[in-house]
Amino acid sequence: MSRDKLWWYLALPQLLLDEQLSLQSEIQRQQPQVLCRSDGQRARTVVQANTAARHAGVKLGMAEVTASTLVPELQQRTYDEQREEQVLQRLAQWLHQDIAQIALYPPQGLLLEVDDLQRLYGDYAGVQRQLARRLARVAVGYQIAAGYSPLVARILAQVPQLRFEPMRAAKSELLEKLRQVPLRFALLPAAQQQQLENVGIQCLGDLLQLPVGELGARFGRAMVAYVAELQGELLPPQRYYRPPLKFSERLDLMTEVASWQQLLFPLRRLLQQLEAFLQSRQLSVSCFTLLAHHRDQSQTPVRIAFALPLWRQREMQQLVQLQLERQQLATPALELSLRADAFQAREVTATSWLPAQQDATAQRAEQQQLQALLGKLQARLGTAAVQQAQAQNDWRPEAAQQWQTDLQTAKGPSQGLPRPLWLLPEPEAIAVHEWQLQWGPERIQTGWWDGEGVLRDYFIAVDALDRQGWIFRSHEEWYLHGWFS
Amino acid sequence: MAHPLQELVHKGWVWQGHDAAEQLASDQLVDTGWPELNRRLGGGWLRGALHELQVQHNFQGELAFLMPVLSAQQKPCLWINPPAQPYWPGLHYQQLQQAPLWLQESEPKRALWAFEQALQSASLGVIVAWFPTVDASAVRRLQQAASRHQQLAFILTPWQQQQEARAYVNRLQLQWQQQQLQVAVVKRRAGWPLPPFPCPVTGHLPERRRRLA
Repeated sequence: MSRDKLWWYLALPQLLLDEQLSLQSEIQRQQPQVLCRSDGQRARTVVQANTAARHAGVKLGMAEVTASTLVPELQQRTYDEQREEQVLQRLAQWLHQDIAQIALYPPQGLLLEVDDLQRLYGDYAGVQRQLARRLARVAVGYQIAAGYSPLVARILAQVPQLRFEPMRAAKSELLEKLRQVPLRFALLPAAQQQQLENVGIQCLGDLLQLPVGELGARFGRAMVAYVAELQGELLPPQRYYRPPLKFSERLDLMTEVASWQQLLFPLRRLLQQLEAFLQSRQLSVSCFTLLAHHRDQSQTPVRIAFALPLWRQREMQQLVQLQLERQQLATPALELSLRADAFQAREVTATSWLPAQQDATAQRAEQQQLQALLGKLQARLGTAAVQQAQAQNDWRPEAAQQWQTDLQTAKGPSQGLPRPLWLLPEPEAIAVHEWQLQWGPERIQTGWWDGEGVLRDYFIAVDALDRQGWIFRSHEEWYLHGWFS
Repeated sequence: MAHPLQELVHKGWVWQGHDAAEQLASDQLVDTGWPELNRRLGGGWLRGALHELQVQHNFQGELAFLMPVLSAQQKPCLWINPPAQPYWPGLHYQQLQQAPLWLQESEPKRALWAFEQALQSASLGVIVAWFPTVDASAVRRLQQAASRHQQLAFILTPWQQQQEARAYVNRLQLQWQQQQLQVAVVKRRAGWPLPPFPCPVTGHLPERRRRLA
């Protein structure tokens, strides 16, 4: 016997409001809040309401005026369908960590193909547990229903009294439920629904009793396809969600925020999403941009860079926190967004049992530790605060080493010449009679090709304190350039 | 009222027998490169400790004095707030193995924070830091971090006029006299302070001509 495929439909009737609530503090969340929408000419009506508002008597579909009369302290915001669709996409991305086949039904539904996941999680109960765990972390209210076709799952998810344990999903049982569904939940276009009602069909059971041929003759092919979907004979192909390879997320802050420190909490959420994004692709990130959006549509960008690629939210948060401590926010921000588009594949750091490779592994681990330290120091003190010397092939002493902010496997200098241990940042003019020349001259004449040519005679000399300095003569002037001890 | 003995212990004038040199494993001690100094410090620099070098003037041989321990490191060394740029070609000429890391931070609090962070990382060789003054609590904190993470670190400061107690393991006073580096031990583990002795650092310096009389 071939098993029927199974779909789950996740209905999220309060998606946008839940998302907004999850960004608020506990106290704010207790306030009655609603989202309202105006349908063309009609007055604005309540489309989403939180628990506090419902307890106070606000109902969905109620006129905004009535609601605000009922609950004077009611907070109202305008419902934005596009926003909600973005939230839905984000949710799909979040779930994509567990479930590969997700189809979006904007603005408030996700269709999950869970058939193949049974093997991974043991059975449907296992899948459901995993899903519940995942959804609990984003604090979103949902209703879930199973169906042997996408349409059936969608229909059943709408009707509260007909939803049942999604893991028990024998087709006969589901069909029995389906027969009781009133026609207004049938997800038919309004015109077709009207047609059916006109011939006295009250619920889907009535529709399924009719012979398909007659239905087709009377209501057209669309109706035949619909019935076939209801019976699970036709499974239209789904457009599955594919996560983008560019991370760009935006968060509403609800209130204006005046400093980066206050943004750290909402930021955690963005970083969690970034972690989910990176985790599902096995990638890591070493730089991204944070944008604070202001009331006048302008933005303040902050470039965040790590010395080594990261993907865990906690590690990123620590470093971002350090980097933001140095930043000032000139004007208050209304929204926060995070953008990343350069990613690195993760490196495998498996330890080997071969001694030679163990050595290399230890060395790489050490290098990574050093990178991490450097990242932390640079995050707090600025990128230029910690640098490593890099030898250059140049005869000019000041050009023979360069300071670099990222670690590289440094090769040693090639010239084996006696050079001082210290170099002054700029040669310092000196009075030569205070110095006693001891060794020299070493003439350095080079660099004529790039306009910074030098012609210098270097000496080792001691000063009044008996310190050995490296001094040179250039154009009859004397300069101190370094120290030997 | 504290016992007068407590006060003496606190000042570092009385030491206790349990941390005597004999009880240390030999891998706890790092060769200073100077046999005379090794003898005076009971075997070498103690690992997991903070050592203080007081210098009369910068560039008077203190770096040559540290060169043996620096060039013995396989890992890169961190230089915090040095008085000038460490010059890699010159250091390499003196057998330093890894390119130096240079940290410059003018704000003392943040520099100390960076120092502490560096002490916690196992990826560095020696840490050398230059500070004009370091207060007692900062020294204690750094010393604790160094000992917890078995890190070797040096602080270079100007000469101190009056010696206040600090949690350094060793305190050395460096002075250049008669064309030689004189090293006095102001404080050491399990021992009395010692008078200056000449340290032959000139081997790490360019050869000198005899000064004309």
